[in-house]
Amino acid sequence: MNKMRSVVNKLHERIDYLIEKCPNMTAAPYNYNYIFKYIIIGDMGVGKSCLLHQFTEKKFMANCPHTIGVEFGTRIIEVDDKKIKLQIWDTAGQERFRAVTRSYYRGAAGALMVYDITRRSTYNHLSSWLTDTRNLTNPSTVIFLIGNKSDLESTREVTYEEAKEFADENGLMFLEASAMTGQNVEEAFLETARKIYQNIQEGRLDLNASESGVQHRPSQPSRTSLTNEASPNRDQCSC
Amino acid sequence: MPGSGTGTGNVPMAVKSTLDIVRQRFKEDEIVHYIFEAYQIQGQEYLDRLLALVSSESGGTYAIIAFSYLRTPLTTANELIINKVFALNESFQLRQDGKGSITTMQFDLSTAEDRPIKYYYYPLKSQEYEEFVAKVISCKNSMYKCDPEAVLNFSWLNDYRQIGEVKQELKKREAEYIVYKDIIIYCATWNVNNKPCCDSNSPLRSWLACSEKSPDIYAIGIQELDTPTKAMLNSTQMQATVEQWTQKMVESLYPGVEYEVLRSVRLVGIMLIVIVRKQLRQHILRCQLNSVARGVLNTLGNKGGVAISLQLHEGNICFVNSHLAAHMGYVDERNKDYNAIVEGMRFDDRRTISDHDHIFWLGDLNYRIQEPPGQQRPGPLTDAQTYELLLQYDQLGQEMRKGRCFDGYTEGEIKFRPTYKYDPGTDNYDSSEKQRAPAYCDRVLWKGTRIEQLAYDSIMEIRQSDHKPVYAIFRAKIKKRDEIKYKKVQEEVLKAVDKRENDNQPQITVETVSIDFGRVRFNEPSMQDFNVYNNCPLPVDFRFKEKDMHDICEKYLQVDPRQDSLMIDSARSIRIKLLVDVRTVGNLLKKIRTSDNFDILILHVENGRDIFITVTGDYQPSCFGLSMETMCRTNRPLSEYTQEQIKHLMRDESPEYQVTMPREFFLLIDYLHRQGSNLEGCFNAHDSRYSLGGHFNAVRDWLDTWSNEEFPGNVQTAAQALMLLLELPEQSLLEPFVEDLLASSSKSKAMDYIALLSAPKRNVFMHLCMFLREGILCQYYDLQQVALIFGRILLRGSSSSSRMDYNSRCIQFMRFFIDSDISDSALGNGHASGSGNIQAKSSTSATFSSSQSR
Repeated sequence: MNKMRSVVNKLHERIDYLIEKCPNMTAAPYNYNYIFKYIIIGDMGVGKSCLLHQFTEKKFMANCPHTIGVEFGTRIIEVDDKKIKLQIWDTAGQERFRAVTRSYYRGAAGALMVYDITRRSTYNHLSSWLTDTRNLTNPSTVIFLIGNKSDLESTREVTYEEAKEFADENGLMFLEASAMTGQNVEEAFLETARKIYQNIQEGRLDLNASESGVQHRPSQPSRTSLTNEASPNRDQCSC
Repeated sequence: MPGSGTGTGNVPMAVKSTLDIVRQRFKEDEIVHYIFEAYQIQGQEYLDRLLALVSSESGGTYAIIAFSYLRTPLTTANELIINKVFALNESFQLRQDGKGSITTMQFDLSTAEDRPIKYYYYPLKSQEYEEFVAKVISCKNSMYKCDPEAVLNFSWLNDYRQIGEVKQELKKREAEYIVYKDIIIYCATWNVNNKPCCDSNSPLRSWLACSEKSPDIYAIGIQELDTPTKAMLNSTQMQATVEQWTQKMVESLYPGVEYEVLRSVRLVGIMLIVIVRKQLRQHILRCQLNSVARGVLNTLGNKGGVAISLQLHEGNICFVNSHLAAHMGYVDERNKDYNAIVEGMRFDDRRTISDHDHIFWLGDLNYRIQEPPGQQRPGPLTDAQTYELLLQYDQLGQEMRKGRCFDGYTEGEIKFRPTYKYDPGTDNYDSSEKQRAPAYCDRVLWKGTRIEQLAYDSIMEIRQSDHKPVYAIFRAKIKKRDEIKYKKVQEEVLKAVDKRENDNQPQITVETVSIDFGRVRFNEPSMQDFNVYNNCPLPVDFRFKEKDMHDICEKYLQVDPRQDSLMIDSARSIRIKLLVDVRTVGNLLKKIRTSDNFDILILHVENGRDIFITVTGDYQPSCFGLSMETMCRTNRPLSEYTQEQIKHLMRDESPEYQVTMPREFFLLIDYLHRQGSNLEGCFNAHDSRYSLGGHFNAVRDWLDTWSNEEFPGNVQTAAQALMLLLELPEQSLLEPFVEDLLASSSKSKAMDYIALLSAPKRNVFMHLCMFLREGILCQYYDLQQVALIFGRILLRGSSSSSRMDYNSRCIQFMRFFIDSDISDSALGNGHASGSGNIQAKSSTSATFSSSQSR
C-alpha cells in the first residue's frame, strides 16, 4: 500500500514537472479555438509570398525576393464566431526544391495552389502541382486555386473561363486575385477557412487524425486537458 | 522609483524607461511601484522575467505580475507578455532559498493557489533585490495591518489572469467600446415564518410589482421557507413547496411583461430566485450559484447564505440572500455569519462575491434595535422621527460604522416601520409573552459602481408572517459592448497581435543558401564553412531538419553542428564535410544521376521559417562506383569526362557500347595476370578494401587516365581495386539474376541466366572467371576462399543473403565457373553451344582489349 502511494506520488511529481517544463500547456490560454495549417504552392514567381504578405500585412511587397525555403505567417480570423488561427506555410516554387517542399504538404488543412494569369506555363504546370497535393494531403484537404496578378489584364495569357473550367473539373475552389491590389486575397484565404470549418461541422474532417491540419483548442485550457494539449505544443517544449 | 536614492550610480537609464513602458501596460488607477529583473531556468534556457509590483487604487490591494518579454530593451508595452500573477494575499510568500550560488541567486514566489515558482537573479542585482523584497513586505503588511479582518479585493487582477493576450488587450481598451445600459433591478426579501404560500390567495403584487417602470431583473429572497422536519427529509414535498412559491412569485410580477425564471438556489429554508425579462435572457452570458451553510454547528444550514452570480452583457452581478444568526445579543455571531459567507462563497469560476461589478445583498440579517435600558421616548414623534431614533440603535448600522461587517456596502434610507416582529395576520408588534422588541431584520444593501436606489420599503398589508416583506428597486448602469465599436477594436487588436507574432518570428540570416564544394574527387575529403547570424531581437534555436524518414543530409555529407542556439547578435559557423568514399560513392552517383545538386539541407528555425541550403559540387568522375554498362559507354579516360557528361552516360539505357568490357577492369586483370605467383594470397576475406589510404588515389588516377605508367601499387592494391570495381556499382554484377543464380543447381542452368546479362556484365563475368580459374589451377589461391569472396561480391544485394546457406550457395555458384573440374565437365555436358558462344565472345573482347591497350 505504501509502495503504491509512493509510486502515485512520484507520478504526480512527474506530472507537475512536465507541467512546469511546458508552461504553454497550462498557463497560456489561447486566443483562438482552432489552428488551421495552410500551404501555398505553385511555380516560381507566381506571387505566393506576395499573397501571404498581402493577407497578413495588408500590404503589397514589391521586389519580393525568391523564397529559398519555407516562410511562415499567421493570422487570426473569425469564422462563425470562432477564432481560427491560420498558420500559413509559403513554399519555395523553384523546381529544384520540389522534392524537399513535398514534405510540407503533410498535415495541411488547406492548400492554396497559385498560378500567374500572365504566364501560361505556370498554368500548364497546375496538373502536376495538383497531383502532388492530392497524393500528399488528406482527401479532406481543401484546395483553392488562385489565378494571381489579375491586375495585369493587358498581358493575360490564361482566361478566367479556362481556369474556372479546370477548377470545376477537379473540384477546386477558384478565384482570380491580385496580391498587388489586394483584390480577392482576403476572400481566397477566408473562403478556404470557411470550407474547412464547414467540413469540421459536417464531420467530414476528423480532428483526431494526426494529419488533419486542424488543431482544436478549448478556450479555457486546464490541467485535465493536458493530454490533448501535449501534441500541438510538442515542437515548443522539451518534453 | 527603483534604484533612486540607493546610491547605485550604475543603474542604467533603461530601467527608468522600462518602468515607463511597464506602466503603460496597466490601467490608469493601477500603480507600478517597483520592477525587478529576474529570470527563470528551464532546461538549458534562461528566460528573462520582469517582476512588477503593482497596486490597484480601486481594489486597494497589491500584486506581483511576472512578465516575459519579446525583446530587450523594451520598446513598447506590447512586448510584455504576462507570465504569472501573484496576488499579495494572506497566503503569498516570498521565500529566499539558501541554495543560491555565487553566480545564481534564487527565490520562490507562491500563493495558496499556485505552487512555488523559482526565480533567479544575478548577484549584480542584489541591491535591487533587497529593495524589491523590502517593498513587497511593506506592501503586504500595509494591507493587513490596518485591518486584519478585512476582506481584500483582488478582483482587478482577473483582468491579468487566465485570459489571452487578445482579451487582455481588449480589456485594456474597454473604454473605447463600452457603453452603459440602464437596468432596473428589483430586490425583495421576506421571512415567511414557515407559512405555506397558499395562506394568501391573492398574488403578492403589492410586494413584487411596486416599481413605476417594469423591472428587468428580479432577485427574490425567502427565509424560513416552510420546512417541517418531514419536508426536510422528503425532497418531493420540498420541491413542491419551492414550485408553489415560484409559481406564486411569477404570477405576482410586474404585469404585462414576459419574465423567465433564470435560476433558483435553496439552502434548507433560505431560497433565492432570479427572474429576468425574457428579452434579456439571451444577454446573460454566465450564471452560477452557490451556498454557504451556517446555523447549528455552522453546518446545518438553517442559517447561512445563498447566492447567484451572473454576467449580463459585460457586467457581473451578484445577488446574495442570507439569514444570519438570530437573537438580540448575537451581534458577533451575525458578523461571523456574514464573514463566513463572504469567504466561503466561491462560484465555479473561482469568482468570489467581491469579484462583481454590482452586488445586491438581501435577507433577514437579524440585526436588532438595542435601545439603552430606560430610554425615554420624547413626546409625540412623526414617523420619520421615530425611524431616525430607532435607527440610531440599529445594530447593523452600528456594526457597519465600526467596520465589522458589510464593508463597502450601502443601504438606502429606511422610511418604514421595523419589519419584525408582528402578530401574524395583524400589524401589531409581538404581543406574546416573549414581547420581542421590534427590529429592522429584513434589509437590502448594495455594493458596486453605477447603482442608484429608486425605492426601499416594506409592505404592511401582507400579514401572514411575523415579518413584513421588504423590497428595494435599483437602477444600475451595466457595461455593454457597442458591437460595432467592439468589432473595430477587436480587429485592431487581432491585427496587432498577428503583426507582432509575424514580426517577432525568430529569424536567422545565412551567409549563403548555396554551398559549392567545387572539384570533388573520389576518396578525397573536403569541407565548406558558412555562417549563420541571429539578427533578430530574440535568442533563436536552429537545427537541420530530417527529411522524410531519413537523416538531415545525404550519407556523403556531415553537418556540424546539427543544431544550436544563437544569442542575439551572435553568429555560428557551420561546417559541412563531404567525403565520397567506398561507402558513399554509390549515393553520390545516384544523386548525380537524378538531381542537379548534391543535397538540399533544411535549416529550421524553431517557431520560424525554414531555409533551404543547396549543396553542389563538381564531381570528377572515376571508375569506382560506375556500372559496367556506363564504363563501356566511355570512349576516353574518365578523367576527361565532366559530371554532366557522366550523368548523361549513367542515364543512357541503350545497348550501344563503345567497348565490350570496361577498359579499367581489363587493365587491372591484365596487371594481375602478369604478376603470376605474386598473386598468392592477394584475395582474402579481410575487408581491408573499405579503408582506402591516400596512396590509393594514385591507383584511382592510373585507372581514370588510362595511364601508360607502371601500375602505381602492388598486387594487393590492384586486387583491392578490382574487387571495388565489382562491388561499388549500385547493382551487383549478376543482377537481375542473383536470385535465380543462387538457386541454380547446375552450371548449365546458371549459364542460361548468364547469357541473358547485358554484354558488359557478361563479358566482365566471364573474363573474371577465366582469370580466377587460371589462378586456382596454378594454386595461387584457394578455390573455396576465392569462390566465397567473389561469390559474395557478385551475388550481393540478394534478399537471400540472409539465408543460412547463402555462403555455401555463393561458393557452389562460383565453382561452376572457376573450378576447372566442374567447368570442364559442365562444358563437356552438352552446353557447348551456349557457353561456347560466350567463351568465344569473352576471348574476343579480351583480345580486343589487349590489342587496344597501350
